[in-house]
Amino acid sequence: MNNDDRSSRPLSASRRLFLQRTSLLTGMIALGGGSYLYNPKGVWAAAPIKVGIATDLTGAISWGGIPNSQVAKMVIDQINKGGGLLGRPLQMILEDTATNEQLAVTKVRKLVTQDKVDVVFGGITSSMRNAIKDTIVNRGKTLYIYPQLYEGKECTPYLFCTGPTPAQQCDTLIPWLIKNGGKKFYLPSADYVWPHTLNAYARKAIVKNGGEVIGEEYFPVDHNEYSATVNKIMSSGVNVVFNTTIPPGVAAFFKQLYEAGFLKNGGRLSCVYYDENAITITPPHEVEGLASCLDYFRAINDPFGNQLQAEYGKLFGNTSYNAGSGSTGMYRGIKLWEAAVKEAKSVNREPVAAALDHAKISDGPGGGCEMVPGTRHVKMNMYTAVSKGGKYEIVEKSKGPVMPGECA
Amino acid sequence: MSQSTELSTSSLPLRKVIPWVELGLLATSLILPVFADDFWTLFLTRVFILGLLALSFDLVWGYAGILSFSQALFFGMAGYCTALLATEAGITSVLVLLPVAGLVGLIVSLILAFIVILGRRVPTTVFVALGTLTGSYVVERLARGWSYVGGQNGIPSLPRLTLGNHEIAEGVWFYYMALAILLGIYVALKFLTRSQLGLVLAGIRQHETRITFFGYRVQHVKGIVFALAGLIAGLAGGMYAFHEGYVGPGQLSPVLSTQVVLYVLFGGVGTLIGAVIGAGMIEYLSFMLSQEYQRLWPIILGLLLLVIVMFRPTGLIGFLVSDRERIGSFGRPDDAAAKNDTDKNPA
Repeated sequence: MNNDDRSSRPLSASRRLFLQRTSLLTGMIALGGGSYLYNPKGVWAAAPIKVGIATDLTGAISWGGIPNSQVAKMVIDQINKGGGLLGRPLQMILEDTATNEQLAVTKVRKLVTQDKVDVVFGGITSSMRNAIKDTIVNRGKTLYIYPQLYEGKECTPYLFCTGPTPAQQCDTLIPWLIKNGGKKFYLPSADYVWPHTLNAYARKAIVKNGGEVIGEEYFPVDHNEYSATVNKIMSSGVNVVFNTTIPPGVAAFFKQLYEAGFLKNGGRLSCVYYDENAITITPPHEVEGLASCLDYFRAINDPFGNQLQAEYGKLFGNTSYNAGSGSTGMYRGIKLWEAAVKEAKSVNREPVAAALDHAKISDGPGGGCEMVPGTRHVKMNMYTAVSKGGKYEIVEKSKGPVMPGECA
Repeated sequence: MSQSTELSTSSLPLRKVIPWVELGLLATSLILPVFADDFWTLFLTRVFILGLLALSFDLVWGYAGILSFSQALFFGMAGYCTALLATEAGITSVLVLLPVAGLVGLIVSLILAFIVILGRRVPTTVFVALGTLTGSYVVERLARGWSYVGGQNGIPSLPRLTLGNHEIAEGVWFYYMALAILLGIYVALKFLTRSQLGLVLAGIRQHETRITFFGYRVQHVKGIVFALAGLIAGLAGGMYAFHEGYVGPGQLSPVLSTQVVLYVLFGGVGTLIGAVIGAGMIEYLSFMLSQEYQRLWPIILGLLLLVIVMFRPTGLIGFLVSDRERIGSFGRPDDAAAKNDTDKNPA
């Protein structure tokens, strides 16, 4: 990065002054200031609307954070090409939360107190959302939109969630599993909040639809030896394994289950975070017939989705756009916020939050969607897909948008 | 100190640098909020709190030779306990919560000290390092799995600390509170390490067996210092939780404990001020690097730390002060200057 480039970036005067002072006073080696800003192309008369993106570009969750930041960049560039918002360009300010909640609070603080962004999108894990939400929403008085599928129960005012909830992932999937797998369920899970809460909902749905839960078991998040569990599954005549163990252990689990003959005996695997990216971590024959339920699959093969795929692939080196990393929630979140800003004719928190409460978009990954008023969650189409030879096939589409069932 | 006069060979005046560094940093810190914008005030408050945590590690490692990987354990436990007091019992008074934070740190460190330091056998440095590491690993695991304290998600949205009816919002108020506490602890530690106890500690660090033969109960002294450092770490943990508005398992993880070790190695072991400088510099560098090199910054930071630790084992402070001043001196000033001059084998 050369100097001209750096000086052309907008930098607040007080920060530059501060940098000079600190380096003078303490002899610190200033390595150079300047945020990683994406400047809108062209010359705009109006001051930009600042959009803060705080996501995990490094660390364990970077597999999700990097696609998230790319989707954000793509959508924001699209909006800018289309003339911006309220006649103002959008300026994306990206911060790396580094899969580290301690660091993240400082990063988000920078967005809120120094850049004074108008809205923050980001966070992949619930622990990250929990760590940064107070800094954004209560202490920072800024709007926060969280894009990832999660366990629900986030009802903080001014915090909007645009990913699928347990209700959305279970309501269409569980009846399908009972019809196309059987009534006996086993719930092997990683021991953290999301599997616990999801299982609680899934259990209710299973019982309601006439199924039964044979076992529910929790393992440390980095567990990878499942022979005892596989034995239990094989010996108790389980029809459906509703899995919430997570990578990297999940690959070992599926392998051990496959080798024990679970699939050969007609057992059905199910895993609701498995998208078209996750399915590549296991050999196709080990997850043949795995059923997942998400808000978008490439296999939907709709014109809007295909165009989105093509554009995303062109911008980011032929990588594909998938639902599991919060990429769909990010797209939806930015577009819903855009709609809300247009309606409110302002970027101030109160009017935008009021408009966002009932915002609606007609197109998006998996189709249009809308906020359910008063809940700050989105109702959206859900798709049940089954893995065949390492590729997904859509087997069922929800009848209309599915309610999130949160904060009502 | 009678030997030291005999050994006096030099009359070179010792030019002290550390007091100037300390005064400079203090003066800068006192006036900074006037010039800096809000973000940097918040940033520095966090640095002060982490500096306090670094001080606690410097005390155990730099002075008593205990390689503790559990400073974050005391830090995080205090954070969790005060957070629960605030959310479950509605107590937000700083006059209750901070003493409680210190007390929690003290109790937890005493318990750990009984296990890893005060056993019947004299523990080796490696034993203590692994024992404390295991302790903090176990507690982190428990915290991640325990739904009452939020499991992996921690306890979010903590209320603010209060003093009477006044809310101590993060910003200038919190900044000066953290600075005052840091300064208080710093001065106290300065006295402590220059006292007779400090002399014993220096002796333990240099030659533990010899101090034992002098009749000191080395393990007891180590236990006391360990518990004291636990108290300081706990105090820092309580402040941290309320400054960030959140407490989670990351705050008591071995990762943070290791980071504290890095703060102190980077700044300079056994100087107190080096710990604070190290905490500030690492936080500043990681923030600045992450602004410039969004995906590569952890690698760059790691390399930088590696280079400093390899080529400047005395840390950043080693660029500024002589070994003689860094290691310090005891007794009357004129004797001390002379004694240190003959010390050819610094730590």
